[in-house]
Amino acid sequence: MTAPMRWLGLAFGFALLASLQACVGGGVAYEGGGYGVDYYEPSGYVYGGWGPGYNVGPFRRGDHRPESRPAPGPASRPRPYHPAAAGRSMPSIPSRRR
Amino acid sequence: MASDFRSRVLPRIALRMCVALASMASIPAVRAAHFELPPLAQPPTSEHHVGKVIWADLVTPDLDGAKRFYGGLFGWQFRDVESAGKDYSVAFLEERPVAGLVQRTVRNGEQRQPAWLTFIAVKDADAAERIAIAHGAKALSPARTYPHRGRQAVLADPQGAVFAVLASASGDPPDYLAAPGDWIWSSLQTADAGTDAAFYQTVFNYEVFDASSDDGREHVVLSSDDFARASINTLSGDHRHPHWLNFVRVADMNQAIAKVTSLGGRILVEPHIDNQGGNLALVADPAGAVFGLLEWSDTQSTQASK
Repeated sequence: MTAPMRWLGLAFGFALLASLQACVGGGVAYEGGGYGVDYYEPSGYVYGGWGPGYNVGPFRRGDHRPESRPAPGPASRPRPYHPAAAGRSMPSIPSRRR
Repeated sequence: MASDFRSRVLPRIALRMCVALASMASIPAVRAAHFELPPLAQPPTSEHHVGKVIWADLVTPDLDGAKRFYGGLFGWQFRDVESAGKDYSVAFLEERPVAGLVQRTVRNGEQRQPAWLTFIAVKDADAAERIAIAHGAKALSPARTYPHRGRQAVLADPQGAVFAVLASASGDPPDYLAAPGDWIWSSLQTADAGTDAAFYQTVFNYEVFDASSDDGREHVVLSSDDFARASINTLSGDHRHPHWLNFVRVADMNQAIAKVTSLGGRILVEPHIDNQGGNLALVADPAGAVFGLLEWSDTQSTQASK
């Protein structure tokens, strides 16, 4: 094999490796160029049925409680979480205008 | 003849093959370069608000329909980001990125519906993922870096609610009162609010306030940086699955509700005054993705700005 042929062989091998790496590397970074967020919720569930006392929103001015109240359910059930310190007022959402 | 082939023809063939392979090698890089998400904070900030909901992505089978609906409802404007086989569009409100919309086809027979995915701020997505998994979560999409956006992972909490963690590369958006058309609140509906509160407290170091009331179900409020970030609520009935809900601030609930229906959406929970004071409703877009509306006046926040 002549010297130019050896150099061409090396270049061919390098190009082959580079193309394989690009295919694999692209897959790792973007899973084929896509985006990792593609999850749908299970269907068939019903929303609603929220009674007047069903609270999901933030507290507004003047409604915060001075301390946590016991959770409903069996009185002896310990809270699984660490409640805010006694005396801490429940905060609301940010109020500073942009 | 044979030596002529080796010395003249073969090198030319080899050279052309090298050029062709080099061209192939560049294709994935070009595709990846096109999938560039905008930074979350524009201009970049040095602020970090661990536990704050900082982003939401909608996964929908009808990207164009979603743009019409949310653009008409909130005045969002859209810029497309295309990648191989999957379309992504970023929604902007007053030149600020507020949400992402991902096109994904629902396969025949797939019992799934479109949904909004909630992103919660962390400083280290890998560490948050590790802690979450150690406490019962599942990784649905392990931590990955997206240029300009940051590093994010999609997880299911121990009760199955799907959420994401995001370490923003541009810092977290400052704590301002949400403008009409921007996300203002998030709430998790789950089977056991107390147990889930413990999980999220472990991952995000939240301060947890009990907000239970007369409905006999457990409600807690999660707080960080002395701001309320989200509530966790025991599910209000059977046959439901744990899920996060995100609420957009509206200036006028009645007008917003009228727009939802005129744009093809549905009202799932009629507007009502929440016990905590906000006027809120639950709606679905034309493809079925559920989100909330919250009418909130400028004077309703209780904490002074920082």
